[in-house]
Amino acid sequence: MQGSPMNGISEGLSPFRRFRNLLLGGLTGLFFFFAVSPLLLIVYVAWNQGRSALNWEFISTLPSGFPLGTEGGILNGIVGSLVLVVIASSLSVPVGIWAGLYLWQDGKSRQAGLVRLLSDLLLGVPSVVWGIVGFYVFSTSTGMGFHWGFSAMAGGLTLGFIMVPIVTRVTEQALRDVPMSFIEGSYALGATRWQTMRSVALPGAMAGIGTGILLGILNVLGQTAPLVFTNYYNTGLPSSLVGSQGAVGDLAMQIFIYVHEPSQLLHVKAMAASLVLLGIVLALDIGIRLMTWGSRKIAGRVG
Amino acid sequence: MARMSVSGFYAYYSENPALRNISLEIPDRQVLALIGPSGCGKTTFLRSLNRMNDFVKGFSVKGQVTLDDVDIYSSGLHPVVLRRRVGMVFQKPNPFHKSIFENVAYGLRIQGVRSRLILSDRVEQSLRSAALWDEVKDRLNSSAFSLSGGQQQRLCIARALAVEPEVLLLDEPASALDPISTARIEELIQDLKTQYAIVIVTHNMQQAARVSDRTAFFLTGEMVEIGETSRIFTNPSDERTEDYITGRFG
Repeated sequence: MQGSPMNGISEGLSPFRRFRNLLLGGLTGLFFFFAVSPLLLIVYVAWNQGRSALNWEFISTLPSGFPLGTEGGILNGIVGSLVLVVIASSLSVPVGIWAGLYLWQDGKSRQAGLVRLLSDLLLGVPSVVWGIVGFYVFSTSTGMGFHWGFSAMAGGLTLGFIMVPIVTRVTEQALRDVPMSFIEGSYALGATRWQTMRSVALPGAMAGIGTGILLGILNVLGQTAPLVFTNYYNTGLPSSLVGSQGAVGDLAMQIFIYVHEPSQLLHVKAMAASLVLLGIVLALDIGIRLMTWGSRKIAGRVG
Repeated sequence: MARMSVSGFYAYYSENPALRNISLEIPDRQVLALIGPSGCGKTTFLRSLNRMNDFVKGFSVKGQVTLDDVDIYSSGLHPVVLRRRVGMVFQKPNPFHKSIFENVAYGLRIQGVRSRLILSDRVEQSLRSAALWDEVKDRLNSSAFSLSGGQQQRLCIARALAVEPEVLLLDEPASALDPISTARIEELIQDLKTQYAIVIVTHNMQQAARVSDRTAFFLTGEMVEIGETSRIFTNPSDERTEDYITGRFG
């Protein structure tokens, strides 16, 4: 510790200030521990309980045996979750970024205020309500709507609607964080609004937008309630994205179902599936960080 | 010949007048310096000349500003077109997070110039005019942020020159730079005035005396006096100008 900054700071201080320094330093460490302890707890419990089921077969085969899932793996859930995320993102990423651009551009106008209010309301809609709405819009076979049945398309788009306001708000904030001097520099050279947005604002905001998309995806990956009425679950792989063959598996739903089964083995597998879900989250996080590396440099978030 | 001409110009932020009854001419191939204490409206005036204040909510103007006898506010002249003809360099260097080459090429690219040949030609020419070429010619593809502050500001000047403006507005272009970089920028201004009409806002009176042909003194939104720089600094006709340049206030 000789010569470390903390040591340097305390040197020559009165005993009282030295004590206060230690106390606050200790408290900071303690709160940091409290902040990360849920993650440590999840990893610890899931690893402890689920590790025995974790192997290549587990992530590469479909469930089999009786009760279903006691043999085989969770490939249906992995594939299904990824399909749902791709569908949800292809709706919410363009819509959310576009809406965020609008809010940034039109910032203080009354319409923008209204859009912002509606967007906040959407953020607060309980996911089970989304599920029912999704059912009436996409799945039900009677009345108005798309009549897609319980399918990946119905579930994915419902999840997409949940993601839109998240991506919107984060995009707007990320654009606001781009320094005004860059925006003015572009306008001063005779750039149009659109050129300034495309060439200066969006590239500078990419890191923040990436984080927003990631937040949205993480939210969606853990959802079960919206899927109950729109996709439910499939123990196999889907042969289409809509219709009676269109439902997909889903990791969160699979965990939920396995935990409800009176089988010790399935409980273990549920924990192992949780570990896989954590792994997917981590991989997505790293992937998005790599993709937005250039922009993170712009935002000064990395050296 | 006057490139730009301002007459009876008023500017308001919401209801508050920021500029009152300004009239002056900006001749070609001359440097006009705007001096005055903080908050006197000189930057507002500068930014009114290429309509950069349009982005400020509640900003409005009255009176006339013309560029080559065309009113820039009430004629159909689009601000985007205006800003290509009236370039601007800001107080703090603000290069884009792009390579040195792409920074200078930006203004051309947005005008739709695609040809690699034309682009590299104009980039070189602009960097030479901004007295930066020799320092960066071997690393045109490195980031603009690998340059020093003074080099970044000259890059911003090169970027403004690349679109071949007629008028160049400089908003305290050297205030964030060290004395050596400042001297280089001032030298550069002397070179550039053989081709452009230049308006420079500065807080540094020695700088105004060194680089400008004419000087206008602003105070609380009004233009107190304008004239040959040598006369303003040796024999001002208004007492307030004398008080300011002799350092009695401001």
